[in-house]
Amino acid sequence: MSLNNEEIIWSLFLQGDTNAFSLLFKKYYSPLYNYGIKLCSNTCVTEDCLQGFFVYLYENRNTIGEVKNIKAYLFISFRRTLFSALKKERNFTDLNSDTQNSSNFEFSPEELKIHQEISFAQTSSITLILNTLAPREREVIYLKYYGALSMSEIASTMDISYQSVLNTLQKAFSKIRKTIENNMLSAILKK
Amino acid sequence: MEESKQHLLENLLEDTSFKNWVYKRNRNDVTFWNKWIDVNSDYAETVFTARDIILGINFKDNTLEPEFIENKLNDVLSKINTNNTITDIPRKKSTASKYILAAVGFFIATLLIVFYNFQENKTYVVQKTGFGETINLTLSDGTTVVLNGNSELQYEIENPRNVMLQGEAYFKVKSKPSTKAKFWVTTNDLKVEVFGTHFNVNTRDEKTKVLLDEGSIQLELKNGSRKKMKPGEIATYSNKSDLFSHEIINSKLDYSFWREETFVFNNISLLEVMHYLENSYGVTTEFKDEKSKKIMLTGGIPNGNLNICIKAIEKSAGIKIDHIDDNLLIITN
Repeated sequence: MSLNNEEIIWSLFLQGDTNAFSLLFKKYYSPLYNYGIKLCSNTCVTEDCLQGFFVYLYENRNTIGEVKNIKAYLFISFRRTLFSALKKERNFTDLNSDTQNSSNFEFSPEELKIHQEISFAQTSSITLILNTLAPREREVIYLKYYGALSMSEIASTMDISYQSVLNTLQKAFSKIRKTIENNMLSAILKK
Repeated sequence: MEESKQHLLENLLEDTSFKNWVYKRNRNDVTFWNKWIDVNSDYAETVFTARDIILGINFKDNTLEPEFIENKLNDVLSKINTNNTITDIPRKKSTASKYILAAVGFFIATLLIVFYNFQENKTYVVQKTGFGETINLTLSDGTTVVLNGNSELQYEIENPRNVMLQGEAYFKVKSKPSTKAKFWVTTNDLKVEVFGTHFNVNTRDEKTKVLLDEGSIQLELKNGSRKKMKPGEIATYSNKSDLFSHEIINSKLDYSFWREETFVFNNISLLEVMHYLENSYGVTTEFKDEKSKKIMLTGGIPNGNLNICIKAIEKSAGIKIDHIDDNLLIITN
């Protein structure tokens, strides 16, 4: 049987089932929220946007085309919603900045899971190194390892090619490898 | 050089054997890749980058408080509902759609039951792999099977513990200590009787070869005789020639087998190794000179990907392999 749970929930949601909608909401609110904070570093904007996004999603469910990957679809649409909201806001405040992709995407030491006994100072320096990566590199890393999206899902979320996702990842890790000591690097890698 | 590194990186990220090295899951793969890095120190950095990409940065799972999410959900739900109550017409529509929804739900449920019954009536489940394709199966009793390329596994849906095999597969049979239920693998030559263990069965070349990794199994040959096997033993039987061999694996013994996507060879000729590739990937091989057929190989070769496989053989045999379409031409350096 090829129908999986999530697809069943999604199809019920498309038919207007609010229970199915609630399940999706509960499952994806956290990851989308965290992603939003990363993109705009503003909790109010993220919360407002996320609320609007879910309401819009429910009310326009009939216009949603075929969705292959639900998680990637939600990430893509939410990213778009958030950026267009930010753009609108920016039009009021600052007309000359057209910085759609200049999201901050700062990592903080508290976000990392550390394996070995490693001092807070060291963790902070690792975070500093991570934050020297280009914002786009940080976003790829975040989507891959925090959001657990696949390379092709990241490609469509960020609207770049599969190849450039791969290159970005590679560049990011070679940079990290060059600046970080081996034992420190292995302390922040998943195992 | 840069281009070949890029290419290597892409292949490594997809390679199962490499992932086994990264997660230290398979001893053969660990040995193989450690050796590979020693020999190809130029590529060490690429290998380590690939490892880092696979492992990835370990982020904390930053889930919000359930109450917080619940509150947000209620906000959204109330927005949706108030939107519906503002105008009267959509509300009627929504009650109507509820009936439709119920009907649709019922329809889906019936469909699933019908589908399920349909599945029940179908007595056999057949799993087949093409050339160069391996699949991981979990049978309904919890047994896992890795089916190698160009192989077929067949069993009755009610009885997944009695399977028929053509080709090659690695079994990790889930033991059922409470019922002492056995597990059988039947081939053209013999029947393997199992309680719960890890073993490999290969039926290529008109004989069946069984390698036992863990536990104990009993073979029932087509000629009626029964043989017990212990871990670390290889048994081969051909119904056609009625020849049986039973040996303990050690470094003096020449053997080859496949386990969790790695070909393992000990003192096996390049001719035989290439024959192995022919069976699994559906390629043809051609030797430019007779001498290279006799090159002896020892070690593990990852087999998730034909190109990586070829590269590994080229390295360890010190030969060159031209890969044109489905033909491999072996050239001695």
